[in-house]
Amino acid sequence: MNDEQAYTVVGGRGSMTVFEIYIKTTPERLWEAITSEEMRKRYSFGVGTVSDWTPGSEYKSAVPGVVDIAGGENLEVDPPRRLVQSFNALWSEDVQREGASRVTWEIEPVGTSCRLRVTHDQLGEGANNELYGGWPMILSGLKTLLETGEDLDTPGSLRYSG
Amino acid sequence: MDEVFKALADPTRRELLDQLFERDGQTLSALEEGLPMTRFGVMKHLKVLEEAGLVTTQKRGREKLHFLNPVPIRLIHDRWVSKYAAPWASVLTELKHDIENDENEEKER
Repeated sequence: MNDEQAYTVVGGRGSMTVFEIYIKTTPERLWEAITSEEMRKRYSFGVGTVSDWTPGSEYKSAVPGVVDIAGGENLEVDPPRRLVQSFNALWSEDVQREGASRVTWEIEPVGTSCRLRVTHDQLGEGANNELYGGWPMILSGLKTLLETGEDLDTPGSLRYSG
Repeated sequence: MDEVFKALADPTRRELLDQLFERDGQTLSALEEGLPMTRFGVMKHLKVLEEAGLVTTQKRGREKLHFLNPVPIRLIHDRWVSKYAAPWASVLTELKHDIENDENEEKER
């Protein structure tokens, strides 16, 4: 995508969102926390994500037998720095109608910490804010897990767990 | 966390966050239009917001776009609000379970 095309996807709120967090950890541990099914469950509303994490592979985020959350393709996989995924929300008919968007995870070491930037873009104009509204809670839970080993137990953060 | 509170302790900076909440991914020029202030003044405020992590930027060609990053505010919420809100949430979760179970039983009948 060239810069001009990229610019045109930035319209009203919702067409592109950016979330950033600093976490005291290594890029390798952060990558593991993003790609491990068991670790992922602990900060993503109890939802695990399953994939073999090769470029072009599929991934699925779900609580088997209870709810499907999202699925798509791993477009770029460059451990432990960069992961680009297509994102199809599946948790309701409303969000399914939004179609595919894109999520980019970027990990950059900063001193003894890492900056994690999650860019959720290629969202439709006026996209349903449920699509990207969960990221602050997920990233806050990820920070808590990596820095303290504890689960974040804020309302909703363990929604589908045990 | 000091930087977040410092950044939020100014009405112009809160106004900038309001503008980005309304419409994310704006240029300096667009943000400047909504404020009775020089370009330099707006730049200074944006820098404070960036240093606090409340605003992130991405380059698009010659332009720099500004995005609201709500994550630091979420961290503040999780630190002080969570223990008060958790009992409410668990009651609601149980209620949801009860209702769903009732509905399933209805269906089975």
